[in-house]
Amino acid sequence: MHLALIRLSFQRQLTYRAAALAGLVTNAFFGILHAYILTALFGARDNVAGYTIPGVVTYAALTQALIGYIAVWGWWDVVNSIRTGDIGGDLARPVDYFTYWCMRDIGRGLAQFLLRGVTIMFFFALFFPILVPPSAAHWVATIVSLALALVCSFAWRFLYSLSAFWTQDAIGVSRFAMSLATFLSGFLMPIALMPDWAGSVMRLTPFPAMVNTPIEIYLGIVPADRLAFALAAQAFWFVVLAVCAQAVFALGVRKLVIQGG
Amino acid sequence: MPRALDLYFRLVAVRVRAQMQYRVSFIMDTLGAAFTTFVEFTALYLVFTRFGTIGGWTIGEVAFLYGLVETAFGTMDMLFSGFDPSFFSAQIQRGVFDQFLLRPLGLPLQMFTAEFVVRRIGRMLNGAAIFALALTLTPVAWTAAKLLYLPVVFVSAILFFGALFVIGATICFWTVESIEAINVFTYGGTYMLSYPMHIYAEWMRRFFTFVIPSALVIYYPALFFLDKPDPFGMPPFMPFLAPLAGAGMLAVAFVFWNAGVRSYASTGT
Repeated sequence: MHLALIRLSFQRQLTYRAAALAGLVTNAFFGILHAYILTALFGARDNVAGYTIPGVVTYAALTQALIGYIAVWGWWDVVNSIRTGDIGGDLARPVDYFTYWCMRDIGRGLAQFLLRGVTIMFFFALFFPILVPPSAAHWVATIVSLALALVCSFAWRFLYSLSAFWTQDAIGVSRFAMSLATFLSGFLMPIALMPDWAGSVMRLTPFPAMVNTPIEIYLGIVPADRLAFALAAQAFWFVVLAVCAQAVFALGVRKLVIQGG
Repeated sequence: MPRALDLYFRLVAVRVRAQMQYRVSFIMDTLGAAFTTFVEFTALYLVFTRFGTIGGWTIGEVAFLYGLVETAFGTMDMLFSGFDPSFFSAQIQRGVFDQFLLRPLGLPLQMFTAEFVVRRIGRMLNGAAIFALALTLTPVAWTAAKLLYLPVVFVSAILFFGALFVIGATICFWTVESIEAINVFTYGGTYMLSYPMHIYAEWMRRFFTFVIPSALVIYYPALFFLDKPDPFGMPPFMPFLAPLAGAGMLAVAFVFWNAGVRSYASTGT
């Protein structure tokens, strides 16, 4: 049944292909600018904290490719479900509410990954020297890491969407939560290029698991013998975020029931 | 004209009051808009500490560009809210624009008062803060000419960005949907202009100087304020073309707009 949820959500996204592809031109342009900016920062240096110039160009392409997949700039499914009261029907389903949306988000993410992510990477590969993972182990780890990045980002998006139980301004709260994630996840700039103190602080949060970890694995900045650890850290953060999300959700539902829906 | 101005302020006041009814919502949205730019600049600032310069420019000099662009764009985004292509395409779809054509009031006045998104002030203020930071980080040798020219550049940039919104809105007359390519010039343009133009590819620099003259309203004036040599060896009057580029672009945009209005056929909604 979980697979059925994923498949339905995936097919729905494929049906609205035009909508899924909207924004690709803008994404590509932002990616190109980001690549030039990072390259100019490097100047004459050829390796900074594991990043090379082709490495940062690939980083710029990857961040743009991930936008649709992990819904960097917005995801309102759960906010809308709570606001409109559809949650009543959702709660009556034979699947737990968190799992239900998680499955649907996996389907959504897969479709976005194939339609937008792959397209962006091919586009960049045409015009820039794009790197690929350095070894078979890195390839496999990249795929696992991307899957974990999706569910981590889902758990975070689910968590901030729950603010809709308590406030009319859930969209405002969500925008803050999204901006915070773009910064701490390494979406705006690679964490390795931050000052060491800032990078260490950021790595103590769950956000790098959503963007920075899969990119560092893809680029081979994480050495082969640290791959398992990096993936385990992502899995750990997913569990933490999911437990928080379920706890907050339980509180929200109690409030909902008291109000009588 | 005084009547039009009076009406303008009254109608804008109505829009502002309407948004103030939801005070918490308004504050959240304003802070949210500022926060997005704030984290973007913070990320850049942090990375800069490792590299020191970008294409020979210091963080203070980049902040000068960044602050100028963000403040001007944020201001424009508020003043030209009615022309925001994503807003205007919805107006066309719902047939609201048809009502505009029937009212005994000038079309431009109605367009400029159709919407006035006050929360954009968040982006504006954050831009102003970055600009202030730039002035503390980089010593600008102020002269009377520079002090007089700064507000001119600021207004020129607002007119220039406004022209892009007007063009984007005009395209909706034919396409109904807001076309995405315009975002490349508006949002993509602000991102590009926040950095010195010489870090980009040659074709980009040429395109954004001679076809869509974005570089004339931000980059070249910045060379003058910061006493930086022009790496492209362009004529010395380049920094002073900002008013021409801003006002000229807006004039062209309104010629296009008028053509669009004349050929407009309602969606029939």
